[in-house]
Amino acid sequence: MEQAKTFFSRYFFPFMVLSLFLFLYIPIVVLIVFSFNDNPYTYQWSGFTLQWYHELFASVEIWDALKNSLIVAASSVFLSTIMGVLLVFYSAHTFFNKAFVLFYGNLVMPEIVLAVGMLSAFSFFAIPLGLTTLIAGHTLLGLGYVVPMVRARFIDLDVRYAEASLDLGATQGQTLRKIILPLLSPALFAAALLVFIVSLDDFVISFFCAGASTQTLPMYIFSMIRSGASPVVSALSTVLLVASSLLVLIFSSLQIKKTDVL
Amino acid sequence: MKKNGIKAALTKETPFFMIAPALIWQVLFFCVPFAIIVYLSFVKSSVGLVNPQVSLFYYLSLFDFSYMKIIARSLIFAIANTFFCLMFAYPVAYFLARKIKRFKNVFLFFLILPFWINMLVQIYAWFFILERNGLINTFLLKIGIINSPLHLANNMGTVLFVMIYCYMPFMIMPLYTALEKINERLIESSYDLGANGWQTFKNITLPLSLPGIKTGCFLVFVPSFGEFVIPALMGGSKNMFVGSLITHYFLVAQDANQGAAFTCFSGAILLSVIVLGNWYFSKKINVVRG
Repeated sequence: MEQAKTFFSRYFFPFMVLSLFLFLYIPIVVLIVFSFNDNPYTYQWSGFTLQWYHELFASVEIWDALKNSLIVAASSVFLSTIMGVLLVFYSAHTFFNKAFVLFYGNLVMPEIVLAVGMLSAFSFFAIPLGLTTLIAGHTLLGLGYVVPMVRARFIDLDVRYAEASLDLGATQGQTLRKIILPLLSPALFAAALLVFIVSLDDFVISFFCAGASTQTLPMYIFSMIRSGASPVVSALSTVLLVASSLLVLIFSSLQIKKTDVL
Repeated sequence: MKKNGIKAALTKETPFFMIAPALIWQVLFFCVPFAIIVYLSFVKSSVGLVNPQVSLFYYLSLFDFSYMKIIARSLIFAIANTFFCLMFAYPVAYFLARKIKRFKNVFLFFLILPFWINMLVQIYAWFFILERNGLINTFLLKIGIINSPLHLANNMGTVLFVMIYCYMPFMIMPLYTALEKINERLIESSYDLGANGWQTFKNITLPLSLPGIKTGCFLVFVPSFGEFVIPALMGGSKNMFVGSLITHYFLVAQDANQGAAFTCFSGAILLSVIVLGNWYFSKKINVVRG
């Protein structure tokens, strides 16, 4: 046993860990390095430049896409957290207390099926595609995260807090605002952040529900890669990478994982 | 009004109006679209509700070798992707969860980070390495192993490779969580009772990590079956996948009925694979729980 253990823990595991980290990070490092490359046409290094970052911050199209992405993300966070909390709180102890099961479908279904479904529904009822339909789709996705996360925290709460509050004469609304919401706030904050990121990152639903005139940041990146990428995309990717790392720092300090929902 | 306990207070009418928005949203943007997809797949004439004819036409036209090939291809890629992610992620998750003591948080941070990077950025990063003038070709040409650039990008192998890259974090995190939860004493007692490292792994660690394996496989398999971004960017357009064909029907060919039938059909296949997998894992997990 000792022998096997030393072989595995000495060579096999470190080798696997090292190769996984190399696998995960070589492309990312290369991407960052080449976003400073002076040569726009090939992948040959020919000198350091900040030109692509200047172009990135000067591009109207990118700022527009970012604006759209932020509007959609903020609205879907707002809508899905409010509706999710109301659903979780008010459906408990009623006929609808199993209603949360409905929302599991949003994450279990492949996103493309959700997206195609919504596209067909919008065109069936002749609803023009745009920011509104995007918000509708992203809020649906958001509910899929908010409802299970908030509910998991809610059922862990001691039911006596709410009972005491109601016994002492508070209305349900007051109980929700003064007792339940403060107790739920860690889960609520986590869910809101998660929905924000998921919405910012989402490509599939946006691709189907945005229509021709509206563009989000991931859609912009997609079309740029397709039409032969310019180094501005590398600069944009690097900026997004830095933003993601900052968010991960916040998240790991909050102990949140994307897979917690399931 | 007299208050007698939480039950009575909660069975008033307000709850209904408070939960209504979420339910209505869910019905409008989940249930109704789903119903419309099913409706479109069974109805000939796409002129809305005017003169609809129920028919199996679109389903029958799916029984063609070329459709079956596309579904089989997606299925094989999703299974291969899940398999390779599991094989690669398990040892690493095991090592980080059970063996490492120092710098654990640093390792974890760098494992979680790719999770939060936009998938398009991840795909884009591979272009630098795999392209005709990319790093691998440049390197191999320079040291003289090859004389002309290899076609590394735009083939099926690359699609699978990049899929494994993009979905790896979805496998690692649930495995890590499951492996970390295992009580150290169970493993120690296995050794104390004379089992060797491999026996302990096979009989204790592996069965107890099954829930994590299940979640990980599920998180990788389902989205990779419907994946269309990676094939669209990495696979040229020679070989269709389920996701790319659905996209083609709805956005390019504007044939919503045929697209709906194909979506329903491949959805049914996905569902049956999930049910099978779920049944298999539940059986195994139940054996563990006794």
